[in-house]
Amino acid sequence: MIAPFFKFGYFNDEISLVVAFIIGIGFGFFLERGGFGSARLLAAQFYFTDMRVFKVMFTAIVTAMIGVFYLSWIGWVDISLIYYGNTYLLAQIFGGLILGIGFVIGGYCPGTSAVSIATGRIDGIVYALGGFFGIFIFGEAYPMIEGFVNGNYMGMINIPQLLNINYGMILFIVILLAIGGFTAAEWGEKVMAKKRAEK
Amino acid sequence: MLEQFVKLPIRKRVGIIAIILGFIAIFAGSPYDRSTTRVNIKELTKISLAEDHSINVDDLADWIIKGKYDYRLVDLRDTEIYNKYNIPGSENIPIRELFNSDLMRNENIILYSDDEAVSSQGWFLLKADKYKTVFILEGGMKCWKDQVVFPKLPADPTKKQLALFEKKKEVCKFFGGQPQFGGEEQIEQETPKLKAPPKVTVTTKRKKRSREGC
Repeated sequence: MIAPFFKFGYFNDEISLVVAFIIGIGFGFFLERGGFGSARLLAAQFYFTDMRVFKVMFTAIVTAMIGVFYLSWIGWVDISLIYYGNTYLLAQIFGGLILGIGFVIGGYCPGTSAVSIATGRIDGIVYALGGFFGIFIFGEAYPMIEGFVNGNYMGMINIPQLLNINYGMILFIVILLAIGGFTAAEWGEKVMAKKRAEK
Repeated sequence: MLEQFVKLPIRKRVGIIAIILGFIAIFAGSPYDRSTTRVNIKELTKISLAEDHSINVDDLADWIIKGKYDYRLVDLRDTEIYNKYNIPGSENIPIRELFNSDLMRNENIILYSDDEAVSSQGWFLLKADKYKTVFILEGGMKCWKDQVVFPKLPADPTKKQLALFEKKKEVCKFFGGQPQFGGEEQIEQETPKLKAPPKVTVTTKRKKRSREGC
């Protein structure tokens, strides 16, 4: 057997929904246990007082990256069948900015707002409703912004292909960045804690 | 050294392991590179003997007429020969280019060549590289021409053969061919020009990928 299982037809659409449900439950559970259901904790990230979000996310990225690389290297995963989004450069930079600003203001991202709803937080519900409202606005305004949304299309491209660099080298660089980032984050947390104590 | 490593806090140990794995990755080669593969000979033998991997030319003609394109029809012959004549809807991937192509492991692939020899090689190569569903066009291009484009009515046909021939006549017209009658002297037939099939709107482009992901 070779992954991705769904793409190879090892299970059908119906079963794929069940699999998605189970994975979703697991994802939500660990997000919540990681403390990602709390807007305070998520926002603390942006004040450099608690870098847990950064650490958890970057750990997840590095773990998945190493896993996918080595699993495909030994032939258990066909990496060319793993889906990732197409690149629409400008629209995605703009969308990223909106999401980032919304994240700082509201204290959630779409995923974590769902997690916070699960624990009954009202701010999470309001945040999610805001998200749906945004989707509605986007849908209504789509004819006007269609050119921008679909512009700068670069296809399904990844960094090793774009820069023509050895895939393993990117892996190594990201790992170094992560570990450097973790060290800096811990140091930053200590500095911020000191500052707070002085106040 | 190992003792020191064990004494470290877990996050440092994980970090060191990650760095080692990342360093090895630099020399491990690209996971997209598929020039080497492990082949399970036993399994491959079993598959090649147990299942039928051929597609009948009449079935293929039927699919093309009906516009059924849930497969990729791959012409393994050289580009020059391909450009002279090919089966509508096919794409040209000469066999030595097979692994530089954009064929995906989860696609239905039908291979053809002049006869079955080269497409069998192609079948084996793709199956060895874990392609899931690969088929061979039975009899290859030769059979396609004989059965679909220039179908022949045998001398003294039975009723059944006649009925079949009537159907084949229609099909061959669709592909710009001409029916042959058994009694006639065999004339060397020109293969129809590439754009011959009048009503076919052949698109080698597959349907747009359905949107996935979040």
